[in-house]
Amino acid sequence: MKSIWKNYRPENAYDELMYSEFQSRPVSHSLCQYLNSLRKGDIDKRKIAAELAIMEMGITFTVYSDEGNIDRAWPFDIIPRIIDAREWRIIEKGLKQRLTALNCFISDVYSEQAFIKDGNMPGEIINSSKNFRKECIGMKPRYNVWANICGTDLVRDKDGIMYVLEDNLRVPSGVSYMLENRVITKRVFPELFQGIDIQPIDDYPTQLHDMLSSIAPHQNGQVTCVVLTPGIYNSAYFEHAYLAQQMGAQLVEGKDLVVNDDNCVYMRTIEGLEKVDVIYRRIDDDFLDPEVFRKDSTLGVPGLMRAWKAGNVALANAPGAGVADDKVVYAYVPEMIRYYLNEEPILPNVPTYLCSNKDDLDYVLEHLAELVVKPANESGGYGMLVGPHATSKEIENFRQIIQKDPRNYIAQPTLAISTAPTLCKDRLEPRHIDLRPFILQGENTFVTAGGLTRVALRKGSLVVNSSQGGGSKDTWIINMEGN
Amino acid sequence: MLSRSAERLYWLARYLERTENIARLVNVHMNLLLDLPKGVEMGWRQLILINASKEEFYEKNNVANERNITRFLLADASYPGSLFSSLSAARENIRTSRELLPDEAWEQVNEMYLFAKNNLETVADRRHRVIFLNEILKGCQRFTGLLSGYMSHNHPYRFILLGRNIERADMTSRILDLASLLLSESRSDEMRQYETILWMNVLKALNALLMYRQQMRSRVKGDDVLNFLLLDTSLPRSVGCCIAEISNCISRLPNSDKLPLKLVELQTYVQAIDTRQTTQKQLRGILDGLQNKLGELHGQIADNWFLRSPEE
Repeated sequence: MKSIWKNYRPENAYDELMYSEFQSRPVSHSLCQYLNSLRKGDIDKRKIAAELAIMEMGITFTVYSDEGNIDRAWPFDIIPRIIDAREWRIIEKGLKQRLTALNCFISDVYSEQAFIKDGNMPGEIINSSKNFRKECIGMKPRYNVWANICGTDLVRDKDGIMYVLEDNLRVPSGVSYMLENRVITKRVFPELFQGIDIQPIDDYPTQLHDMLSSIAPHQNGQVTCVVLTPGIYNSAYFEHAYLAQQMGAQLVEGKDLVVNDDNCVYMRTIEGLEKVDVIYRRIDDDFLDPEVFRKDSTLGVPGLMRAWKAGNVALANAPGAGVADDKVVYAYVPEMIRYYLNEEPILPNVPTYLCSNKDDLDYVLEHLAELVVKPANESGGYGMLVGPHATSKEIENFRQIIQKDPRNYIAQPTLAISTAPTLCKDRLEPRHIDLRPFILQGENTFVTAGGLTRVALRKGSLVVNSSQGGGSKDTWIINMEGN
Repeated sequence: MLSRSAERLYWLARYLERTENIARLVNVHMNLLLDLPKGVEMGWRQLILINASKEEFYEKNNVANERNITRFLLADASYPGSLFSSLSAARENIRTSRELLPDEAWEQVNEMYLFAKNNLETVADRRHRVIFLNEILKGCQRFTGLLSGYMSHNHPYRFILLGRNIERADMTSRILDLASLLLSESRSDEMRQYETILWMNVLKALNALLMYRQQMRSRVKGDDVLNFLLLDTSLPRSVGCCIAEISNCISRLPNSDKLPLKLVELQTYVQAIDTRQTTQKQLRGILDGLQNKLGELHGQIADNWFLRSPEE
């Protein structure tokens, strides 16, 4: 093989594309053949072309720092990550199963709480959850679906099995990057799309729009959907604008909306007030409505909860859905699948120790150096401890933190999460990756073909978050039948 | 259409038009300098006078020479009236209204912005400045063409036209102001000998030389040029044509009842300008009045569509 593969050694982890430096997995045969046919320097040209496209398309995310907010270009690796469609069909089924069970659980939490009453989970977990919103008790969103948009993080361990790492049910982001990654790959490697049967992904905005329309409070005539953004200074603003544009929906800020005495939501237009039926909100519960949640919120819309509870507007995701986006609740998802659906979970959880549990806590404190410890309610990879990579001082520090607030921490064994070839200077090196597929649930359930593959660009790093030096790759689901 | 979006598109168009106009202005001034014989004293100072930015310029610079003035007008990111500041503001406005415009519109403005940002240093020398200005002019034209070919001619489009034409009328009046200023200064005796060259360059600044020749079928004369650029109703950059475009947009937008009166007033004001009877000094006053009237029109547009009180 050519020099870009020189010393490519997927060690200690499952590599998605390669068995070794000299042998590719069946899914990546065509890609490797193609890469090897490129002349020296060609791959660099493609990389530069991709960077240029990213700059010109203005694909950015915002980083907050002391020197002000900077829009950084989206770090993208041009080598795609590939999954066999046969495997994907099973994962897709597992994701649908999981979100269905989670929505049953959220409905249950805000009504009878049968799951808890039947002794499957201590009630304390819900009562102490900061994402449990008592204001939502008794609400019945359409189809009993609370989490309409879910981003589920998957990782593959050394055994080759895909595990669910977490379910993001509040305002999951990243789908626009998934879509843009494909656009860039098509620009950079158009030849590849001739020979390989890659499943398209660009119907996501249409699916999102259909789902949002399906949850409108009335089903007569045209439905007005809007995307509610916290504004230009939010790190995901690019995505909010992108999705609104792709759906042909209005992108609104809190100050564009008003709730009138009739408990309906209106937007301020050049023609006066216009009624809004569905709001895809990208604002956290806390900031949604200063009448009900944080009084100091200037991002939200006063009266929005009134309108929602009166059934005059649909919110996606529904307020309160975040109660299931908690790493302690996560540990109970397999049980939920059995309880509500009477099925066995198709996708396994990562074994999880709950620090609120005395026995688990003792184990965790004894094995801190081997475990990954995470706060129950954070996202973005903040506030976690990766035991094997931590100094003894950091470990001692975490020991104190956990003991102070055990309910808020969980621990999991450190997985050897899978790697994929990533362009580093002039050759390929294995880097750790995860996968975030997006699942939509309204009248129907839809799963993206693949999702957003995030890659830890630093050698050996397991943290893939863009705020922490992560990048991303295009993700291909390819049909192998007939090959 | 959201009131906030209307406001952003309107400003997007104004800032882009301003970007283009500053590029034109500097370009034509440079050409004029090249055309005039060595002995004729004509500086760069007038460029900052017509932009009413004298004070700000002297806060930052000691000498009003070509290098300082072009850098100030084109590349100074801390001067809000510079080309780069206008382009940055246009980009910020389009970034927040992407959902209303074709993809290519954003990419076009973003590309232009990146080009300008990476080449700001080159504007100091004439040869590179010409290239820089040409790129900007081309970029602005591409944007205009792209919208006219790809975008429905709907309310959002009308707000873009509205912003563009108000800015354009304002800039045309400022360019005429520049010519009057050059001719009215007492030490410009020599300049007057080259009046034809000056007026030709004014026409060129507005891409109107060919159209002038076709329409007027005469040699280039000051009052004819003024007439043409103020009153002609088919030349895209004449004040009369801009006002007609503005009227047309406003009549098609909702809730516009209060505005036509203002427009009639503006039209009457422009038509009453008699270029044969006015001195250069008087003309400067009249153009000043025109700019104020355009400012008032802007205020009414903003009151009418942009600033909605929460009670409504």
